[in-house]
Amino acid sequence: MALLEVRGLVKRFLGVTAVDQVDLAVDSGELVSLIGPNGSGKTTLFNCVTGYLGADGGRVLFRGRDLTGAAPHRVARLGVARTFQQVSVFPRLSALENLLVFLQQHQEEHLLARLLRTPRLRRLEAEAVERARRLLVLVGLAEKADATAGSLSYGQRKLLAFAGALMSDPDLLLLDEPAAAVNPTMINQLKDHILDLHRQGKTVVLVEHNMDVVMDLSQRVVVLDHGQKIAEGPPDAIRRDARVIEAYFGR
Amino acid sequence: MRRVGWLVLGVAILAAPWLVAAVVPRQQRYVLHVLIFTALFAALALSYDLVVGHVGSLSLGHPAFFGVGAYTAAILATQARWSFLTDVFAAGLAAAVVAALVGVPLFRLAEHAFAVGTLGLALVASVVANNWVQVTRGPLCITGIPKPALGPLAVATLPAFYWLALAALIVVVSLYRGLTTFRLGRAFHAVRDNEPLAASAGIDPLKYRLLAFTIAAGLAGAVGALYVHYLSVMCPEEMTVALTVNLLVIVFLGGVGSLRGVLVGAVLFTALPEVLRLAPTWRLVIYGGLLLLVVIRSPGGIESLLRRASR
Repeated sequence: MALLEVRGLVKRFLGVTAVDQVDLAVDSGELVSLIGPNGSGKTTLFNCVTGYLGADGGRVLFRGRDLTGAAPHRVARLGVARTFQQVSVFPRLSALENLLVFLQQHQEEHLLARLLRTPRLRRLEAEAVERARRLLVLVGLAEKADATAGSLSYGQRKLLAFAGALMSDPDLLLLDEPAAAVNPTMINQLKDHILDLHRQGKTVVLVEHNMDVVMDLSQRVVVLDHGQKIAEGPPDAIRRDARVIEAYFGR
Repeated sequence: MRRVGWLVLGVAILAAPWLVAAVVPRQQRYVLHVLIFTALFAALALSYDLVVGHVGSLSLGHPAFFGVGAYTAAILATQARWSFLTDVFAAGLAAAVVAALVGVPLFRLAEHAFAVGTLGLALVASVVANNWVQVTRGPLCITGIPKPALGPLAVATLPAFYWLALAALIVVVSLYRGLTTFRLGRAFHAVRDNEPLAASAGIDPLKYRLLAFTIAAGLAGAVGALYVHYLSVMCPEEMTVALTVNLLVIVFLGGVGSLRGVLVGAVLFTALPEVLRLAPTWRLVIYGGLLLLVVIRSPGGIESLLRRASR
């Protein structure tokens, strides 16, 4: 059974069909890229999968469980993490707190327990802080732990958002253009991080325009154009596919 | 050294009735009255800040919850002869229930529409208080609300009421701190700073907004109950939109989202208009000028001035 299965997904905006009957299956441990020209429906597909947009047709299954129409926070708690195309952090929280936010909701706790700060909760919090510090070291932001996220540079915020998505140790990671507007050194770091995740057995779906990143990382590439899936296959085959070349460069 | 400073301040606040009696014996009653008002307004402003400062929803409907609590306590105490503590509790509960009910549709509104929606709530509540004469006695006011009694202990004198108001403020302060720090506070702040991102972290934004809104309303209702027991009268004028303006001044000029800022704001903007009565003709001009000065010199409120000073 596929970890994530999208069946015949349709999303329309005022008569424009942004996602048109798309099927997609991602197995556990796979690293898949979703590419296509601007406006081809990649981010819309992500938003439908993670509950930010309601679908007009089709189904989304995660571990065989129907996610269609579920609210974003429910999807997240099932173990699906995502990043956003625009840099997305909590600007007034510190870098450390930014990461802590991503773990706490995954731990069942009563409102009263939070107010009274039970010993169990204090222990969980200490563990979360430790994990957050390790992730900050991983993305090279250890010294910025106490700086507010709003004061970080664009690239740093992007790395912080990436670390946030890893915080809850998700089963499925959806990355929306992680390399966009990031400098080449950081892109290489990012590629290493994603490959590490893949080696650890994580399932990653990547939306990306940077073809070096896509071709170097992916096991399989899915191409969208005008909301439809026009090709799917290993990177080398996609590079030579006539429909893909046409979609990108025109006839 | 700082410890000593806080200790002196704490003792001074606790001993205020005696200090006042020693320093201004002639105006003792008046000064105590201002201090009681300050404590009640501080508690009310802190409850308001839970919504405005911590989940970032600009509610203008706080007088409605204050009013629901005030009328609940007034009616229960005069008609049903409920004891003080039970009617304060009932007042908080009634306001919280109203908030939970109206909160569900209100939070469907986007930012500015939410502000207008809550303003509408405050206006409707005020109209109801004026016109539902069978229950609220309208402009005739509910009178004869008994002085509070904690069991056999009657809170009949001004100093006693001052300590009661202070105790209520301490309860609100500790709740405020518990709610706005650690995991709960972090969830509130995440929703305030970036709602879609908070949802991607598994936080249900609506749930946390409603939670803050409901708790804030409950506290406002309880403060309303204390307020009517103190004044012994409840009139519709106590819950007009003017109250929102006061709260906005305290919270935004004090320091939105900050315990210290809101407390300082409450002291300054409740006590200041009274102190300025020394110059009656110029009172409101000076007050208005000071407000402008804070807004221009320190848009982040007095709290940001304090932060800069302590650096």
